[in-house]
Amino acid sequence: MSTYLTGTFSSKEIAVQAINQLKAGGYGPDDLAVFSDEPVEFPHGVLDRPSHMSLAVVSGAVLFFLLIVSFVYFTQHNYRLVTGGMPIFSFWPTGVVFYEITMLGAILTTFGWFIWESGLLRRDKSVPVPAVEPETICLRIRCATEKFDSAATILRSAGAANVAKLEKAA
Amino acid sequence: MVLALLGAIAAWGLAAWGYQIHTGIGVAGIRRPVFWGLYLVDFVFWIGISHAGTLISAILRLTDANWRKPVTRAAEAITAFALMIGGMFPLVHLGRVWLFYWLFPYPNSRLLWPNFRSPLMWDVTAISTYLTGSLIFLYLPMIPDVAQLAEKATGWRLLLYKVMALGWTGSDREWHALERAMKLMAGIILAVAVSVHSVVAWDFAMSIAPMWHSTIFAPYFVVGAIFSGLAGLIVALNIIRRTMHLESYLLPHHFHNLAKLLLLMSLLWLYFTFAEHLTIWYGNEPKEMNVFGARVSGKFSPEFWIMVFVNFVVPFVLLGIRRLRNITTATIASVGVLIGMWLERYLIIVPTLSMPRLSAGWGRYSPSWVEISITVATFAAMAALYLVFSKLFPIVSVWEFEPHEQEDA
Repeated sequence: MSTYLTGTFSSKEIAVQAINQLKAGGYGPDDLAVFSDEPVEFPHGVLDRPSHMSLAVVSGAVLFFLLIVSFVYFTQHNYRLVTGGMPIFSFWPTGVVFYEITMLGAILTTFGWFIWESGLLRRDKSVPVPAVEPETICLRIRCATEKFDSAATILRSAGAANVAKLEKAA
Repeated sequence: MVLALLGAIAAWGLAAWGYQIHTGIGVAGIRRPVFWGLYLVDFVFWIGISHAGTLISAILRLTDANWRKPVTRAAEAITAFALMIGGMFPLVHLGRVWLFYWLFPYPNSRLLWPNFRSPLMWDVTAISTYLTGSLIFLYLPMIPDVAQLAEKATGWRLLLYKVMALGWTGSDREWHALERAMKLMAGIILAVAVSVHSVVAWDFAMSIAPMWHSTIFAPYFVVGAIFSGLAGLIVALNIIRRTMHLESYLLPHHFHNLAKLLLLMSLLWLYFTFAEHLTIWYGNEPKEMNVFGARVSGKFSPEFWIMVFVNFVVPFVLLGIRRLRNITTATIASVGVLIGMWLERYLIIVPTLSMPRLSAGWGRYSPSWVEISITVATFAAMAALYLVFSKLFPIVSVWEFEPHEQEDA
């Protein structure tokens, strides 16, 4: 049975200290979530979120490129235009179409991967989300119910304010 | 009140288009040999304006220019709406617009596929990709802002913001994904934006018409697009600054920086225009010289010299002299540039088409009331769309904006 607790920090440095202590206490990146009203950049190794977005975008672009080249090649060969002896399929005059569809693949993959990686549409609605005051950083910790007190102690010792249990959403 | 007036003008333009569809394309002034008239001028002009957002926003994002923050949303919105309007013109220009879907490749009973080598297909794919990318580029950084709006909104606005926010909570996972996506999108959209205006230029340059068949047309068009896009952005920013009282967000130094960029683009535009005309003049090829003469000293010369005056002389004086450079002069220069760049598109299209290589085919062109109505309506539609957008969404990116930076500035 897991429970959630939160602590609020007035600066990034104190939040980093708390995260490092929690990690030393056995909490992994999946147990920790930082909430803020603007992006917070932590030093490398504090709370890394590995991303494969660039690779996915390149893959999406390559996939769309292969699809459009195959599509144009096969339609032009199966439904032949009268070209007066010129090639039925010619790469250069269709280069613009290939380029644009390749970029469309990259754009759509970026958007799709953003949705996936951010977890927006696959978020567990029963997990509570803390309300964040402007210019503060809120750290949410998932822990076993019996470890609640020790996690709260770590948060308080690191300088967190408003350490409290976060109730699950109805 | 303003919205109603703009809506009425836009509705008049739609009615004129309806009249053209009902009566036939003959009600427009385009006829042999000038088959491309105001519709194509407007098409190139609006696609050019659309470069305001993506190029400016993407370049400034990629270079981490801090002063961009209050400017990017306004610029990205211009892109999305200008593209919607510009993208309509190939449809307006079609004689049988109800058959536009023939341009899309789909299995059909006639076993016909579009000719993928046609520049018309290039336009369809380029504009579709650019519009998709621009909408996503506008939408992504809006997500945190609409999530905040959803907390206080009621009624249909609450529903709209909730759907658009996609359940944003402000977690580090979401912020990281957003920042990565925005960096990637900035790079991708930059490449797409350059390609789109290159494709528009190649629509002309691929034909062997006088003063069109030029290797520098693509970069010339891209420079012109950024130039007119910047001018459109400065005008829009000044209007929203005054009407929405954003004086504490949109500061004079933002306009100074944009004005300096505008001056740079003015000089680049002059360089390309000079290079293009010098090459034609020095080559002295008779068919080219006919069009050249008509532009520089013939019947199109008033438009040509007005264009040079407002695109170069006015920005050079008002923005080049530091003492004169302020928000008002930047706006005056930008309005001039918008007029000048519209004239530039007119001068590229109409003189060449009215003077083809065979002099027996020469003709005249004067736009009809239908073309003029639709042209005016697009400006009203652009203003109306922008107004509605700025009423519904924050025109300044709230989460990116840091007040202390502005105070320092």
